[in-house]
Amino acid sequence: MTSTLVETEDRREYRETRRRGLAVDLGTTLATVLAALVIGFLVILATGKDPVRAYEALLTGPLERSFRVGRWLEDATTLTLLGLSVAIPFRARQISLGAESQLYAGALAAATVAIFLPLPSVAAVVVPLVAAAAAGAGMGFVPGAMKARLGANEIVATLMLNAIVVRVYDYLVNGPLKQPGSTAVHSERIQPDSALTPLTDWLGIPFGRANIGLGLMLLTAVALWLLLTRTPLGYRIRMTGANPDFAEYGGIRVPRAIEWSFVIGGAVAGLAGAHLVQGVYGRLEPGLAGSLAFEGIVVALLARNNPLVVVIAGLFYSYLRAGGDIMEQQTDVGTEIVVVIQAVIVLLVTAQALPDLLKRRITRRQVARKQGARKQVGAR
Amino acid sequence: MSSVLDVVLSSAFLAAVLRVATPYLLAAFGGLVAERAGISNIALEGQMLAAACTGALVAGYSGSVALGALGGLTVATLLGLLLAALRLELGADAIIAGIGLNLLASGATAYAVYTLLDDKGGTSGLRSGTLPTVPLPGIESVPVLGDALSGQNLVTWLAFLAAPFVAWLFYRTRFGFHLRAVGEKPDAAASVGIPVRRVQYAGLALSGALAGLAGVFLSMGHVSFFVRDMTAGRGFIALAAVFLGGLRPWGVFLAALGFGAAEALAVQLGTLDVPPQLVSTIPYAMTLLALALYAWRRKRRGTGEPVPASL
Repeated sequence: MTSTLVETEDRREYRETRRRGLAVDLGTTLATVLAALVIGFLVILATGKDPVRAYEALLTGPLERSFRVGRWLEDATTLTLLGLSVAIPFRARQISLGAESQLYAGALAAATVAIFLPLPSVAAVVVPLVAAAAAGAGMGFVPGAMKARLGANEIVATLMLNAIVVRVYDYLVNGPLKQPGSTAVHSERIQPDSALTPLTDWLGIPFGRANIGLGLMLLTAVALWLLLTRTPLGYRIRMTGANPDFAEYGGIRVPRAIEWSFVIGGAVAGLAGAHLVQGVYGRLEPGLAGSLAFEGIVVALLARNNPLVVVIAGLFYSYLRAGGDIMEQQTDVGTEIVVVIQAVIVLLVTAQALPDLLKRRITRRQVARKQGARKQVGAR
Repeated sequence: MSSVLDVVLSSAFLAAVLRVATPYLLAAFGGLVAERAGISNIALEGQMLAAACTGALVAGYSGSVALGALGGLTVATLLGLLLAALRLELGADAIIAGIGLNLLASGATAYAVYTLLDDKGGTSGLRSGTLPTVPLPGIESVPVLGDALSGQNLVTWLAFLAAPFVAWLFYRTRFGFHLRAVGEKPDAAASVGIPVRRVQYAGLALSGALAGLAGVFLSMGHVSFFVRDMTAGRGFIALAAVFLGGLRPWGVFLAALGFGAAEALAVQLGTLDVPPQLVSTIPYAMTLLALALYAWRRKRRGTGEPVPASL
């Protein structure tokens, strides 16, 4: 079937706008990161430290030794999974702050299975992962269903669930799951068969605690990208986020899409918990995730909730985190400056007006030019 | 069980409730003012933290507690204004900008403390002093309540006065009327000549100041130092109290007081055989249930109640 001239032209135009949008997105993201780094540089300078030496350590440190690379990749795996976990509800325009509760639920599930349930070799790795994803999904379902079915504020619901789950986790690690006879607070170790294989074993290079969870993370990112761009459910989630009224009008069951976005996000955050247990620590420890859950939000924001870009953003952030630690060891600049840089990035990313203003002006000019051309064609 | 009752009925426990509830009350009223102005202030946490840190540092270096408190309040107020500016001038999403401000406060306070004092943990090396307690003459002689009320900090009194103050502000002043109108229907408010932006800026400044007072209390109320991330999620809990209290001053007052009481109870029960972590989940679980009930009721009844800005 041949397509008409108008169709080909439309398609070409659409592709062109998309390409241009992507270029603008990429440009603004890079500019944002650069601006934040410059601000960090100025802050260090203003506090009377040597910013050049500090940035040298920050930006080249993580690559200097193989175990530092391992530390970076291990951190990036958890952080990217958390970024992916919030990117999905964000795409449905749901502000889910519940990654923390989902991660801890996942960690508890993975650890319980990996410590107490003897399983044959492959199942020993897979079953805890599945349990973690299920637990995280369940923890995502609660605020998702509350939002979708009752219209309850998802921000408050997820924050409350975080508060509850973190405390229950703390209780379990200090109480029923604490290793008997140990003075330090942590659970028993998981069975060796349940551990995610360290990259060191595979490649022979000492990569610290980095493990095949990295591959799992990459697979998850691709799977989520396919889900969003190539499946009906992904379409429903994206439409719900773009314009819920229009989506509803177009026959999409918006509450269902919202619920699913929470459940999928929860499952991925659960996997992040499993990675910490089976790949990094090998047991439950108090405050397992630190501030990672909230930093996942930063990663998702920077990547504009595109799963494939989340991977890049996650790698970038973890690089900064790893570099910050090295900077603190080698210079007198505290690693906290990295958090300041992150915050500036968030603020710049969300301050949409400026780049949007620019973008709108560019498109307006182009539309005007197109219309001019059309008129000429019509006149002929 | 009787030992639990003994704990709850003691005046020491009552005093603890007042003390623990103070930051929740102040921050929750801060959140309430912002919410009713139409901009969710999820940055309460960061504003508290920045105020706590600034207060301790300024007081420590200047030797003046009053100056420290003033510094803390100023910084928190500016952060409130910054949130409003990001929302109103740059079209930022208030929630995401709030998350950014929280991060900024967490990073900047820790960086400042480490840079100035070479200490990762906090400002315990700095002698910064505490805000005064208010002795009320003759109050000790009141049974039970007397002991609880006598040694309370100035800020605690302010926290309890904040409830009637906010209620008065909302329902008895022109500004409060404008604030509520702006939060509910900004277009309608603008059409009758209310300066929408100015009202929102003022609301967010007040919101930040209240959160700042809560923060100052943390580092200068009963202890005289700042600890890294010492707010420990109180700003988020305060935000929950705003919703649990149905966006009304006295409702928010009760909710915040409830959170304070539950936390004080959890601390007291730590001495008994009940896991304190589990006790301390009760208020959050209650909030979750209340949130669901509130939403369900609203859904059945249709609209008519003020809708939170973040919905």
